[in-house]
Amino acid sequence: MLSPPPSVLLMQRLWINVQLFSQGAVLSYRALFAWLRPATFIASMIFFPLGQIMFFTLLGIYATGAQNASFFLLGNAMQITASSGIFGVTMAIGGERWAGTLMYLFGSPANRLAIFTGRAAVHILNGFVEVLLGLAWGWLLGWVDFSRTDPLALGLTILIATFSTAALGLLLGCLGLITLNIMFINNLIYFLLLLFSGANVPVSSLPQWMQYISWALPLTRGIQAAREIVSGAHVSQVANLLAGELAIGMMYLAVGYLLFRFFEMEAKRRGTLEAF
Amino acid sequence: MNAAVQVSNLRRVYKSHIGAFRRKVKEVEAVKGISFEVEPGELFGVLGPNGAGKTTTVKMLTTLLIPTSGTATILGYDVVKQADAIRPRIGFIFGGERGLYWRLSGLDNLKYFSALYQIDPAISKQRIPRLLELVGLADRANEKVEGYSRGMKQRLHIARTLLNDPEVLFLDEPSIGLDPVAAREIRQVVRDLREQNKTILLTTHYMFEADELCRRIAVINHGAIIALDTPANLKRFARDLAVVEFQVNRVTPQTVERLKGLPFVDAVSVEEREQNSLVIVQSPRGSEAVPDLMAQLNGSAIQKVSVREPTLEDAYVRLVNQADETEDG
Amino acid sequence: MSLKYARAVFAAFRMTYLSLVMDSFFIFATLLMPLIYALIAFGILRDKGAHYGIYVAIGSGLAGLWSTLLFGSGNAITSERWTGTLENIAALPTPLWVIVFGKTLASTLQSLLSMMVSYLLGWLVFGYPLTIAQLPEFFGVLFFGILSFVALGLMLAPAFLLNPQIQQFQNAMEYPVYILCGFLFPVALLPFWTTPLSYVLSPFWTARALQSAAGGTLTLDQLAFDGAMILALGVIYLGIAALLFRVVLRKARVDATLGLQ
Repeated sequence: MLSPPPSVLLMQRLWINVQLFSQGAVLSYRALFAWLRPATFIASMIFFPLGQIMFFTLLGIYATGAQNASFFLLGNAMQITASSGIFGVTMAIGGERWAGTLMYLFGSPANRLAIFTGRAAVHILNGFVEVLLGLAWGWLLGWVDFSRTDPLALGLTILIATFSTAALGLLLGCLGLITLNIMFINNLIYFLLLLFSGANVPVSSLPQWMQYISWALPLTRGIQAAREIVSGAHVSQVANLLAGELAIGMMYLAVGYLLFRFFEMEAKRRGTLEAF
Repeated sequence: MNAAVQVSNLRRVYKSHIGAFRRKVKEVEAVKGISFEVEPGELFGVLGPNGAGKTTTVKMLTTLLIPTSGTATILGYDVVKQADAIRPRIGFIFGGERGLYWRLSGLDNLKYFSALYQIDPAISKQRIPRLLELVGLADRANEKVEGYSRGMKQRLHIARTLLNDPEVLFLDEPSIGLDPVAAREIRQVVRDLREQNKTILLTTHYMFEADELCRRIAVINHGAIIALDTPANLKRFARDLAVVEFQVNRVTPQTVERLKGLPFVDAVSVEEREQNSLVIVQSPRGSEAVPDLMAQLNGSAIQKVSVREPTLEDAYVRLVNQADETEDG
Repeated sequence: MSLKYARAVFAAFRMTYLSLVMDSFFIFATLLMPLIYALIAFGILRDKGAHYGIYVAIGSGLAGLWSTLLFGSGNAITSERWTGTLENIAALPTPLWVIVFGKTLASTLQSLLSMMVSYLLGWLVFGYPLTIAQLPEFFGVLFFGILSFVALGLMLAPAFLLNPQIQQFQNAMEYPVYILCGFLFPVALLPFWTTPLSYVLSPFWTARALQSAAGGTLTLDQLAFDGAMILALGVIYLGIAALLFRVVLRKARVDATLGLQ
């Protein structure tokens, strides 16, 4: 019997990986939607971000004047992506249920990268939508003016920032697999992002050593780019920020993936896979 | 003497919702109007398969669940209207891995529950060590529960349930999931409790456990009691069913069907083993049926024939089959 | 009656405290989270001047107390359901509200610690002078304000047991209370129709009185009025809590939800 030509084999391999990726995405999606009534899910998608945005924007207005409303609004609306990108993704990777089935996945020839990244897909989508909703609220409340904004540029910025935050989430999720103390980790990171990303306090006002942390985290560049785009900047003017944000995201993704493979090897070596 | 536990037409319907968008309501009648009484100091068994309604019944009697209809009293107090009077006087175990505080030690768990049971500290100070001795956990009492084996957790549950020195105990499947040694230990504890004249209601799906421990047994299936009697009487119910066992080389499904079709055969079951098969035939004719049965088995090499007395399990199978036939037919 | 349950309250308090201390999340909730919030608040308000230091310390402390109650007290019953212990404590001679009360006290203590952290942060790190002008009034208001806050928390526990969907709103209930009670900025910033909502929340009156006492502007009239509101609302919350406990527990026994995970 003749074996298929190499190009067909490649296509088959690709197709299998696509399927793996989608399966992970679908499972994540169902985990998110399956047990929640749609009405309640939407309510928490709207009320929680709205609460945070309103609190910090009002506080910012009180502290520095109404003219700065858009500073705080944009910062917090963008930071909201972390609720999916961090919380959602870390639970998807580090969640007990998935860890229980990991043992079976690791015994299979399935492509690890496809499995790993598939889980984050739906949360990237979710995060993107949440940011848009946050911005919409800000616009409705008169805290931001989009008249000089290039929508595509803003959309791209949000997408990249959401991606890089989710990449950090993937890394943290892997840490969660090892240490199993996810709630501590993801709450800490979420709040650190609130503090260091420039969402509420300009990075330049932070002490020097804190600024290093800011620039090493996702969202910082994205938030700055978003603010510039809303004040009328052209996408080429924020290109280096966006490239930086993308690079940070890729870096977290790479480290996270390495950690994931390391986890698999360690677990098989030490025989701790069934511990989950 | 008044019954310790009195149940009259107790019924419980569960409603569940299906689907995320269009929510449909599904109703399941878990307990279909059962009635029975437990005498003071009696060890009463409720025997049935999973999903029969045993746990639901116990939850209603321990005031955790409100019946859909019917009444029940414990020591004369109504389970719905006088729940507060019942709670200090009963103990219950649903057992298993849950129900204990994992981050605390066994001893701390008992101290906590003691306080919640309003037990005088002077009394609990003496009682707790005694209970730990009773269940064999005295030397592991200071370890966190998360490190306990399943059997140890079960024993801690028993200690917990005895903290308030209850008059009536409800043990729901106390030996489930335990290895044989641990299970035997639990049964010994239950026997010891029986000696102390406590009223005990025990649910189980292990036939031999019910046979060994209980004075009377209620057989429950699909939410209804299909028989209530002492183990001996229940077995007598199936006494006319002697059992003939043929150890054969192999047996074909057609042979089994032919056997089932014989007028004097009530039930046939087959146990497949590595080297041979065991054909178990229930027939009122007992050993007299052997020649006719052997004729049907011609084709399968017969290695051994034995006739045995029916066990509680045989009686149970027959009861359940009859109940199912009445339901269907 | 109160003595009879005192031992149970203490037992629940101790049990919760032991569990909390052994959980690393406790460190986060008690120390790190208020630290970060206070840092952000101090950061945003840095241009307002040093005398805002005490304002921020009080506000973040109260905010931390609300968060602790929302999750600590709010999850008091549902967490027992998750660990499978709810059935074992729902049919006891000690009513469930006593256990929840003990747990709430433990959470409150945890939160008082975080209040002190905010205070120390403002003082040590930012060098703000955190003087309180009217000390006795301040601590008086603080004491009763916390009691009233605890009563608010007692309402949450049965509410979250009532319906699993309500738990979804738990996260969304954090910021609205910070906003409506004027912890870190005056409610004057909000539209007029939110004022009634602020008025029915006792932490609003507590924050108001504490800020005045710290700044030295608390008159006897204001003390009397704010104090009366704090106490009256507290009593109302207790009444609602008592009703909720009865209703919710009965419903759980009818719907068979005591044992669900």
